[in-house]
Amino acid sequence: MSGMRKNRLAAVGGAMVMSLVLVALFAPVLAPHDPTRAVAPTYGDPSPPSLAFPMGTDQLGRDVLSRVIYGARVSLTVGVAAMAMTVAIGVMVGLMSGFFGGAVDFVLMRLTDVMLALPALLLAMAVVAVLRPSLFSILLVIGLVSWTQVARVVRAETLSMVQRDFVIAARALGAPSPRLILRHVLPNVAPIIIVMAALGTSGTLLLDAALSFLGLGVPPPTPTWGRMIEEATLYFRTAPWLSIFPGIAIFYAVLGFNLLGYGVLSRRAR
Amino acid sequence: MKRGFDRIRAPLAAILLALTVFAVCGCGDGGDGAIFPRGAHVLRIADVDDVPTLDPAAGYDTESWTFEQAIFDTLVRYGDDNVDLEPDLAESWEPSADARRFVFHLRRDARFSNGRPVTGDDIRYGIERVLDPATGSRGMEYYRGIAGAADFAAHRTAHVAGIETPDPWTIVFKLDSPDPIFVHKLAMPFASAVPREVVERWGEDFSRHAVGSGAFMLKEWIGGQRLILVRNPFYFRKDLPRLDAIIDSLGVSSELQWLKYEAGDLDVVAQIPPAEFPYVMKTPRLRSLTRKKTTVTTQYLGMNCRMAPFDDVRVRRAINYAIDRRKLVALLNGRGVVATGVLPPGLPGFDPQLKGYSYDPALARRLLEQAHLANGFSFELWMRADATALMLGQSIQQDLALVGLHVELKPVAWGPFLEAIRQPHTVQAFVSGWEADFPDPENFLGTLLSRRQWGANNDTFYFDPNFQDLIDRAAATTDLTIRYRLYDEAQRIVLSDAPWASLYYPVVYAIVQPWVHDYVLNPMRPTRFERVGVSAR
Amino acid sequence: MRRSSRMSLPAHPPAAIAIAPKPGFAAPCSRGAFSPDKPMIGFLIRRLVFGAAVLLGTSILTFTIAFVVPADPAVAMAGAKADPQTLATIRRELGLDRPLYIQYARYLDRAIHGDLGRSYIRRESVTRLIASRFPATAVLAVCAMALSLALGIAMGSIAAAYRASPLDNALLVLSLALVSMPVFWLGTMLLIAGGLYLRSFPLGGFAGPMSLVLPTLTLALGSAGYYSRVLHTSLSDAMDQDYVRTARGKGLSGGQAMLKHAMANAMLPLVTLAGLDLAGMLSGVVLTETVFNWPGIGRLAFEAIFNLDIPLIMGTVLFSAFLVVVANLVVDILYAWLDPRIRPWEAG
Repeated sequence: MSGMRKNRLAAVGGAMVMSLVLVALFAPVLAPHDPTRAVAPTYGDPSPPSLAFPMGTDQLGRDVLSRVIYGARVSLTVGVAAMAMTVAIGVMVGLMSGFFGGAVDFVLMRLTDVMLALPALLLAMAVVAVLRPSLFSILLVIGLVSWTQVARVVRAETLSMVQRDFVIAARALGAPSPRLILRHVLPNVAPIIIVMAALGTSGTLLLDAALSFLGLGVPPPTPTWGRMIEEATLYFRTAPWLSIFPGIAIFYAVLGFNLLGYGVLSRRAR
Repeated sequence: MKRGFDRIRAPLAAILLALTVFAVCGCGDGGDGAIFPRGAHVLRIADVDDVPTLDPAAGYDTESWTFEQAIFDTLVRYGDDNVDLEPDLAESWEPSADARRFVFHLRRDARFSNGRPVTGDDIRYGIERVLDPATGSRGMEYYRGIAGAADFAAHRTAHVAGIETPDPWTIVFKLDSPDPIFVHKLAMPFASAVPREVVERWGEDFSRHAVGSGAFMLKEWIGGQRLILVRNPFYFRKDLPRLDAIIDSLGVSSELQWLKYEAGDLDVVAQIPPAEFPYVMKTPRLRSLTRKKTTVTTQYLGMNCRMAPFDDVRVRRAINYAIDRRKLVALLNGRGVVATGVLPPGLPGFDPQLKGYSYDPALARRLLEQAHLANGFSFELWMRADATALMLGQSIQQDLALVGLHVELKPVAWGPFLEAIRQPHTVQAFVSGWEADFPDPENFLGTLLSRRQWGANNDTFYFDPNFQDLIDRAAATTDLTIRYRLYDEAQRIVLSDAPWASLYYPVVYAIVQPWVHDYVLNPMRPTRFERVGVSAR
Repeated sequence: MRRSSRMSLPAHPPAAIAIAPKPGFAAPCSRGAFSPDKPMIGFLIRRLVFGAAVLLGTSILTFTIAFVVPADPAVAMAGAKADPQTLATIRRELGLDRPLYIQYARYLDRAIHGDLGRSYIRRESVTRLIASRFPATAVLAVCAMALSLALGIAMGSIAAAYRASPLDNALLVLSLALVSMPVFWLGTMLLIAGGLYLRSFPLGGFAGPMSLVLPTLTLALGSAGYYSRVLHTSLSDAMDQDYVRTARGKGLSGGQAMLKHAMANAMLPLVTLAGLDLAGMLSGVVLTETVFNWPGIGRLAFEAIFNLDIPLIMGTVLFSAFLVVVANLVVDILYAWLDPRIRPWEAG
């Protein structure tokens, strides 16, 4: 029975993620207005949700609904791309560490420790502030800051893989290391990597939203959910809807990936 | 090893523990508290950030100057709500005819809050601190014109030769070249009288233990939380200050300040938050409590005249016609005045007859066509990374998109922003503002547009020989009428050449409680607290 | 070593600056490298040296970033209206014209003596700035940690006790939901609800116990969700172990069996996580502090980064690294002491 429940989790999560992807892909069709142009003269005086503008308009006269929809594009792009980088680095480090052991493991793990000792958000902020915010710098930074978790988990899995009979046998037969890693270890470690990818995306999404909120995300007028919330803080008393809707969007996206990852993970474990 | 708990008790105990910790921790620093006896005249204000410093040599921002003005005195100062010079520590002064020698006569009854009388030496010490590179003061450049300043800064002499104190109550300044506005530079907090013994005692922590001769003295400063001033018992102006104390709560956001004001917990809100502004203006009771000033500041979009395509004057004029300045002011809820030129109102020499550029996108397009840029172009617009700048930047982005120009906003931190705009080939266009340091057109037309300021403050790298000649002649002219006329001619040239697209002059609205009296705004300086009074609430 | 290598946890909320559970993955298992008669001390020394090495590495990393920064500290100090002469003078005075490694050596030397330099913008000693802001962050962190542990333990143990029931399901979804909420948004929502509509709580700033409620809740809820899952997993693990089954066989009810025998062991990973998280929180929860205008280290660091105030940036980063290293050390020792199975100094 619990297996069914876990299935349901993954299914719900998967549906949420799918819906997000669809919204991002079909944003130009779904969004009623251009997210960067003013559609109502509400300068400095945002207007509440109405029939014409279901999520209201912001202080620059733009339609909030359209901005939330287009925001999915940036968030997904950053979230997924950053996760890809995170996983790439993390898997590389983890595989090498676990497989080769010894000095390689030692050095890589010490490097990981140093990275972990650094406060992730502060480091991300510092690097982005230095490199100046752009899509690429955000991706780079989030990837650089998040790979350690993946590395550790992959290393642990690799370690346990390495002790398995078939790997020992293959080694004894003289198989070259790269082939061993790619043919034998990686496929078995793959499932956990997939899970880390899903969970990792929720993490990178949150980190990206945090950076946007702090003013270090993709520059305007590209709508990003985090920045929308930040721009809304000035008006949080008179126009709270400006903060509520983008926040729900972030919540929805992150929850979707979490459910998906968690559901798949639990299935695998049982 | 933990003993087993009953199934409910474990979580419950944990929650109770949490609550206890919480309650204990919460008894941290209280709010204002009853520090002063009832009936004391206390003004409660607040700041969004911590005050950066109280050291007159170091401070160069509104918050620092607000308190430096209250704690320290200078030889001369401005009126409460105007920019006319009046005596402060100096009772009288005589400039020489050639504007190279200035003699000041000090009053004899001024004393520091530690009781010691103020003499000319204290002024000299203050200025020497500013000129000393070890202090790292930003005010150095204002006093470099004093004879012997360079030698002093290079540690070749023990004192600045051009500052003489023949007796304790006289101080003489000798300049290398004529400077008709030198006296204004002595009205800046950089030139405050500073007690040497206190600085030597506290060294680099002087800011935390500032002692001056002003109306107030520092009582307490808890970083990030609270700063308290109390009256200086030795202040030379009789019956002033009217307040017993000023309590400044630090780190209070503008929204929170507003709510405290509404609750009666705050006496002054120095800047009404944008979100509340429309409501305040619509409510007569509140509107009557506001105080406003048009700051002597110009916000502008600067274009690098040495970088294509802004080296073409037609392009620069097109940008001027393409920007909807009234929309910018609307975005600010009316807290601005559409800019017509380089000089802001309130600056002597401002010409109210000057008509700036109108909003004419069609004309802008035609100019771009003439410049063979009918297809438009894209460029990066650099600006400081703050919320207002970004909002206005997005509005400009929208405007320029309508004439076919694609703008990328580049919000950058202050340090790198300054550095970048000073490079000749890095930044094509930027948004910035300039606040008057002293009431003279030289501070704008000279400092920001002179050939000699390339790589320093002339970040548009503008140069025109006629313009340069006019401002050079004007700077040396002591006759004010002729001086302003020359600057006016110069400004017209600049307007036509359009290295700038002047955007607006910011207007600041403050609001006070009904029981606060005589709180006035000065166009160029923070408010003085001496004459402010509070009656019973 | 016997430790679960399953990554059964959702992504950690960035607010508490994520740190993976350390002992399971990288604890250096080194036996036979110490003298057998004083193994514990050898272990301690090794961990201390290791911690110092991490700090050194951190300082090099931050120094490199800080000084590769394309921003001129002289400009940061001298401000908008300075001319090149002033800037050159300031650069000389700050020693910025010396080669990089000399600057680093000077910095390190001073840092060891507790002098972390002076902030460019505020002209104050960095050490003193950090010390003055630390209490506010510490209070918030401790309260949030206590609350999140309490809630997390409650939720996790209840969920595990009623395993595979609708209650467990509901709590699972709740925990995942809590973890998925962006901290700054949660904070803003709480601010709107509690401060504006209910009007019961002050709108930010640190002023008495009431002002502590909203920020603590903001921080604690996300962590609570996380901890509840950690505990749930450990408890489920433990409950499947033989010794628990035996206890059940002896006739103890499921709940009591769990709590008596499983809880102690299951708490261990949670405790270590919490300890490491606390270190992370202590180094400043930027997002929460920004939303609530909390005068703590997080905001100090944020302002420093925005102003490119390099000494302050380095100081805050080093300080937080220091906290993490100390926390790691304490947690490792505590863990080892509590669980005899994994004491690395006893030959296994």
